[in-house]
Amino acid sequence: MPFDPHFIARLIPALLEGAEVTVELAILTFAICLVWGLIVALANSTHGPLSWIAGAYIQIVRNTPLLIQMYIVYFGFSMIGFGLSGFASGLLALCIQNGGYVAEIYRGGLQSVSPRQYEAGRALGMRRWTLYTSVVIPQVIARIVPPMTNQAISITKDTSQVAAIAVMDMMKVAQVWVESSANTYDVFLGVAIIYLVLTSVASAAGKLFERRLAFAQ
Amino acid sequence: MKEFAPLLHGYWYLFRGAGMTLLMAASAIVPATLCGILLAMAQVFGNRFARSAVVAYLFVIRGIPLLVLLTFTYYLLPLTGIDLPPFWGVVVVLSLYYAAFMSEVFRAGILSLPRGQWDAARSLGMTRQQMLHIVIFPQALRLASPPFVSLCANLVKATSLVSVVGLWELTMASREIVERTLAPFQIFIGAAAIYFCICYTLALYGRHLERSVLHGH
Repeated sequence: MPFDPHFIARLIPALLEGAEVTVELAILTFAICLVWGLIVALANSTHGPLSWIAGAYIQIVRNTPLLIQMYIVYFGFSMIGFGLSGFASGLLALCIQNGGYVAEIYRGGLQSVSPRQYEAGRALGMRRWTLYTSVVIPQVIARIVPPMTNQAISITKDTSQVAAIAVMDMMKVAQVWVESSANTYDVFLGVAIIYLVLTSVASAAGKLFERRLAFAQ
Repeated sequence: MKEFAPLLHGYWYLFRGAGMTLLMAASAIVPATLCGILLAMAQVFGNRFARSAVVAYLFVIRGIPLLVLLTFTYYLLPLTGIDLPPFWGVVVVLSLYYAAFMSEVFRAGILSLPRGQWDAARSLGMTRQQMLHIVIFPQALRLASPPFVSLCANLVKATSLVSVVGLWELTMASREIVERTLAPFQIFIGAAAIYFCICYTLALYGRHLERSVLHGH
């Protein structure tokens, strides 16, 4: 029976419990990637072997599926002695992959500041520190907010793949409920709506931040 | 190299899986591209109703994980009585999903043409049809080609998700070999290497296209 109110009353708390795991994973991944991606981008902008390693890392993680990366971390690591929990493996794989994307966003932001800006700052007699904090970094931040918002949305959706390594996130909860109740329509609508709300919140937060920045400038 | 013996026994099976992955990706790319172009046209040239319909479609598709759509198609198809083989079921879902992202790429291509191109075409007395066919589309498609190719690489990676709903392709093939050989590290890295070869080739081609678009030939 689709749209059975008693069923929906039991379904929603269960889905929200799964959504908690989804949100936790998404926020942790995004926070870690903001730092890790910056480290990778800075390493990539140097000259020498460090840049070569960072470049190879970016290409490898961006050109292989997240699901395979999760399997390598979850099944592979336990085989060679240091097994991680499903949640930890999922988080690690999400950070490994999205770190590559975030690093590219930083790189694009840094490259978008023209060399003239540096020259102008130096011509005004700015110290290196002042040049970066008052000229370069504000421009970089303004330019990376929209792609970072997209990345946050994409991370939120990507977390659903941890269901494949038995983490009870919203996707897995939904799978369990569909299989045990055969009430596919309700579960599908519920999951779809909650994901839409989560991604809309991420998108709205990005827009708000963008407007704040525009105002500050 | 003894550790990689399982890979030596399984590589032919992995290559067959990769063939299936490519077949699935190719079957989805064609309809996704056509639908993407139609959606972009509706959004740029359509009336208010068509525009808001497309915006609603993009909002829904971009806010829900592909895995959710694939899983529920798998459960819903038998319920709705549509008699579609699972392969075509996932091809339809992949196409509809990627059409949304393709449409963004094509829309950006159309909108990034300078106004002068439209004015020039109109001042030559071209009809709307001629204007689109001779002036706008050839240039818009060329501008859209680099991001289009990277979307295709994304689609190849996304086909790995169909293994979660039980379809056989590269990721499923690697899981089967892992179950037999109990060597997850080696096999999944082998599968990742095959995905990398496919996607990195596409990425390099995309970069080549980007360079030729920038240099105007």
